[in-house]
Amino acid sequence: MSIELTQPGCELLSAQPVVIKNVKNYFHIHTYGGLSPFFAGLREGKLLGTRCGNASCEEQRIFLPPRTHCPDCLSPSVWVEAPTVGEIYTHTEILYPGAGFKLTTPCPLISVSLEGVCTKMMSYLKEGQPRIGMKIKAVFNMEHPTHTILDLAWVPA
Amino acid sequence: MIKLGPGNLRIPKFEKPVYIVAAGQTDFRKKYPEKTTEELCIEAFSMAALENDLKVSLSELKRMVNFCVYSQFADHFGDQLLAASKIHDALGFDPLGNIEVKTGGATGGHSVLAGALAVASGYANCVPVVGFERMDEVPTRQGNAYIASAACKNFESELGWMYTAYYALMAQRYQYEHKVPRETLAKIAVKNHGYAVSSPFSQNPMRITVEDVLENTLVSDPLSFLECCVMSTGAAVLILADEETAYTITDQPIRLTAICSGTHTLRTADRRPMEVLRLPHEPEDLYKNYQHDWPGFSSFLAARMAAYLAYHMAGIKNPVEDLDILETHDAFTISDIQTYEDIGLRPYGRGREFIDSGECYHGGKLPTNLSGGLIGSMHAVGATGIFQINEIFWQLQQKWAKFHADPRMWERYGKTKPADFENLQVKNARRGAAISHAGTGSHVTMAILEKV
Repeated sequence: MSIELTQPGCELLSAQPVVIKNVKNYFHIHTYGGLSPFFAGLREGKLLGTRCGNASCEEQRIFLPPRTHCPDCLSPSVWVEAPTVGEIYTHTEILYPGAGFKLTTPCPLISVSLEGVCTKMMSYLKEGQPRIGMKIKAVFNMEHPTHTILDLAWVPA
Repeated sequence: MIKLGPGNLRIPKFEKPVYIVAAGQTDFRKKYPEKTTEELCIEAFSMAALENDLKVSLSELKRMVNFCVYSQFADHFGDQLLAASKIHDALGFDPLGNIEVKTGGATGGHSVLAGALAVASGYANCVPVVGFERMDEVPTRQGNAYIASAACKNFESELGWMYTAYYALMAQRYQYEHKVPRETLAKIAVKNHGYAVSSPFSQNPMRITVEDVLENTLVSDPLSFLECCVMSTGAAVLILADEETAYTITDQPIRLTAICSGTHTLRTADRRPMEVLRLPHEPEDLYKNYQHDWPGFSSFLAARMAAYLAYHMAGIKNPVEDLDILETHDAFTISDIQTYEDIGLRPYGRGREFIDSGECYHGGKLPTNLSGGLIGSMHAVGATGIFQINEIFWQLQQKWAKFHADPRMWERYGKTKPADFENLQVKNARRGAAISHAGTGSHVTMAILEKV
């Protein structure tokens, strides 16, 4: 009995120095864990943030992106619906994205300012030309969800 | 609101003084298939041991070492977990103890911090800090995706797989708040590509004009290709020692009077406004009428925290007056302007004056990134923070020309010394600083070096 290769070998790209092409093809199983309500919410057209569950904590504003625990007092958070109308805090246009980007380019990238929310989450503008201060509203990709942050986008309000 | 308590602002202190005794590095290239990562680290260590006029041989130096620190940003790039173990073996340091540090783009700075803590506490008295990154195994777009895995995978990475876009968000907000002209940002790119022309180590030397930058293709509006750092392969090494060991090794040790670290949320989104943390030279009422959120998207709390601690630790009263040379982490032109303000070269909103006044140039009050920086010379991430300190170290030793002007240095890397080479040694430089920076400001160190 002799031991044989069961997979193709590496392609030789250069003889001197010896350079080979090592092809990878694998996946990760990723959990959203305690942040799952946010991603489950997107499928139902809901924008869920979190608020500190400790009434005596100084920070009572909404966090979005959500946090399972308050960063100030480490109390467990409670889930609340965040406003779905806000304005653009800043923006750019992605022209040359990195590998794995799933949207068409040029893609307007935005940071979103929402009333009562102490953070300014990153997202994208699905329609229109962004400018700072522009009023926008949330839209949800519920038809063919990607189960990623790409299922949330914004359009002019 | 983030509130800092007195314990949070306690000024760090070394129990024993810490010195840098030697520095070495490779040249930096987009692709370096001729050499393995181990070979690059051996080359950088050998330069440190053999070309810094030391009083001990390479073998003697190696026998003085009692702890090592390794600096590599991303296992993804080298596709080798525990790479530090291979480097440690290749350098012949087994069975000495070592650690590998990981803080994104600031890994180099934090590795030097880790080595300094070992020396300052008396845990060790001679510590090589070895930084490296092999970024040439994957195409640039995949490399950018790897780097963007250092953004939040749940809420950010999918939005571009590209750090330039995350910095472009900051650039747009900065321009909205402070109206910095595109020309000023472009000048930083012109300067750093230009200084890279006089470095045999540099990957992206260029004589360009402001117009070239303004007409250059955009990666993410408003940042163009010429305003972004390079992606490099290479290595850099420096050697730390306590006082007695330092003077056994060299007659010209440079003292590391401070190296301090600050952090902020990985996601820029999560940065809640707070009161401005004032530096020693900033008057109490300086920001009384400041109109914008701080740090917001225009400033880096991590850099401000590192500078606050480092200035107090090193006794810096006014950085522009007290420092003679500076290396910033110019990953993008916008982050450079932001950093000038964070480290107090100008008040918030007025960082452009540091460029427009000419202070940042060779011959100016505080020459900045004479190495060519990350835009012109290199960003082999794990090596970067060490490379910056090496360049300051040689400047303070008045040995910049030895490592940059000798035509044989250029030949070593298959280059010819250019006809428009400039001597960038800063005359009588006594004190210098280097900023190492990660993410969109998730980790920052500031190191302060002083001639003894």
